[in-house]
Amino acid sequence: MLNVKQKKYIKEYGILYVLISPVILFFFVYHILPVIGMKIAFEDYRIIGDNIFVGLKHFKYLFSSPAFKTIIINTLTLSFMKMILLFPIPIMLSFLINEVRNSKFRQFVQISLYIPHFLSWVIIAGVWISFLSPSYGAVNNLIRLVGGTEIDFLTSKDHIRWVLVASEMWRSAGWDSILYLAAILKIDKCLYEAATIDGATKVQSAMYITLPSIKSTIITVFILNLGFFMNAGFDQVFNFMNPSVLSVIDILDTYTYRIGLEAGLYSVATASSVFKGVIGFFLIIGAHKIAKKISGRGLW
Amino acid sequence: MKKVKLSDIVIGVVLMLFVIYALQPILNLLALSFTHPDSVQELNGLDIFPKKFSLLNYQFILSNPSIVKGIFNSVLYTGIGVFISVTFTVIAAFVLTREKLIGRKLFILITVFIMVFEPGIVPEYLVMKDFGLLGSMWSIILYKMVNVYYLIIMMRFFEDIPKSIVEAALLDGANQIKMLTRVFVPMSKPSIATITLFYSVYRWNEYFRSGIYLSSQPGKWPLQVVLRQFVVLEDTQAIVGGFNAMSQAYGSVNFEALQAAAIIVGIIPILLLYPIILRYFTKGTFEGSIK
Repeated sequence: MLNVKQKKYIKEYGILYVLISPVILFFFVYHILPVIGMKIAFEDYRIIGDNIFVGLKHFKYLFSSPAFKTIIINTLTLSFMKMILLFPIPIMLSFLINEVRNSKFRQFVQISLYIPHFLSWVIIAGVWISFLSPSYGAVNNLIRLVGGTEIDFLTSKDHIRWVLVASEMWRSAGWDSILYLAAILKIDKCLYEAATIDGATKVQSAMYITLPSIKSTIITVFILNLGFFMNAGFDQVFNFMNPSVLSVIDILDTYTYRIGLEAGLYSVATASSVFKGVIGFFLIIGAHKIAKKISGRGLW
Repeated sequence: MKKVKLSDIVIGVVLMLFVIYALQPILNLLALSFTHPDSVQELNGLDIFPKKFSLLNYQFILSNPSIVKGIFNSVLYTGIGVFISVTFTVIAAFVLTREKLIGRKLFILITVFIMVFEPGIVPEYLVMKDFGLLGSMWSIILYKMVNVYYLIIMMRFFEDIPKSIVEAALLDGANQIKMLTRVFVPMSKPSIATITLFYSVYRWNEYFRSGIYLSSQPGKWPLQVVLRQFVVLEDTQAIVGGFNAMSQAYGSVNFEALQAAAIIVGIIPILLLYPIILRYFTKGTFEGSIK
């Protein structure tokens, strides 16, 4: 039998369990069941009847397939390029925006730079297809103006990775600067005044006051990015992909999609997801721990 | 007036280059979409104003059944989806911030688990298949019904509500339901607006799951899937029905200009919401801990 205290608890809190039950059901169907479903990576899928346990068969197939090596190289190359080339840009932008004294111009810059962040990758791909078009695109127009010959960037193996870096920058450089801008705004203004009195230039102030003050934000963002290193930007590649450049930009997630949903190799595709999940798990946990140690703020 | 320094000019120029980089491609598409099909050849990729102003491209796009259906579906899914998402995110955040609730820790552990483990597309697809949800709009309306990242943001907002107010309400005899509807919701209107916008942008832009789960039902595709078919995959047959039919009805047609108009149609709701989006997203990003 329930005692008085328990009855009181149920009377007060019971309703909350009722309220949250649809969310629990949702988590179960959309998140927990698929995680359980990952066991298909260790099974042969059968439409009728139970799946058969086959151990690491699909992993062996995956790791020995020649495509897999290319996929890993592509994933790492793309992630690496984006990280090295794009990581400093939002930091630089936040410094520049912070220096603008005219508030109208400052707002105009921010409003303009944030727009691409809110567009879907379908739209972004559409915009860039037009932007890079060999016949009527702005970039090739510029190339012709300076006397060069037009390049079909989207079908060129030599250029497509740079296109991905440039379009990623187009989408997120502005928006990503917000975090740094927020950190800069928290810096005590007295520091700058004191530095100016001591005769420091703007560059010196930026180097010796701003940069050290937002160091922990920079490190946190960097480490969190590292946690998602294996992603390399699925939505982007998915929308920029075409047969002529597939071999240089096919990454883990697009490969999983193609062999899983297009070729119907459910088990191999899931094996690839498990592989990525295991690496991603350690990267994210590692990133969380390091970030928490350095800045006191982790992922969750 | 302050003296204009060289450093200010350099900063201004660099930032303007970034602004041009961000806006020029969109403005060029806008110009292209408003250019009469006959004059598209005269329009340069660097132009940001239309050559011979015309609404013909939009007339065509907005009379295309696939695109009209896509707009309708997108509005429907966004409307229902955002309503359900916001309701349950607020409820879940409220429940999970009740410190005395038994089982709270376990539930939070589950949310973290969900954030860390991504099962991948195939197991998710197979669950939808097993539940018979493939081809049903509910498969995508319920997808990310509660986004765990937004849930955590909402929880942080709720945690900021002063304890004294909660205690005062309890003394007045408020039960948990009244606490949620009369104290927490009215006090967190800006935060609720923030996650409403998060969900709206997400729902409007969603194309991947819809493309997979509804692949066999083109009539249920949201606009982004139609756009992908038309603009990215350049499938003129399925969406537009070939050039001949168009030419007969409209005299002349330019495919690039039509694509441009379709893209602009896909951006418009975002642009309309943009001033509010900017206010709340910026706030959300400053206050929440995730991007």
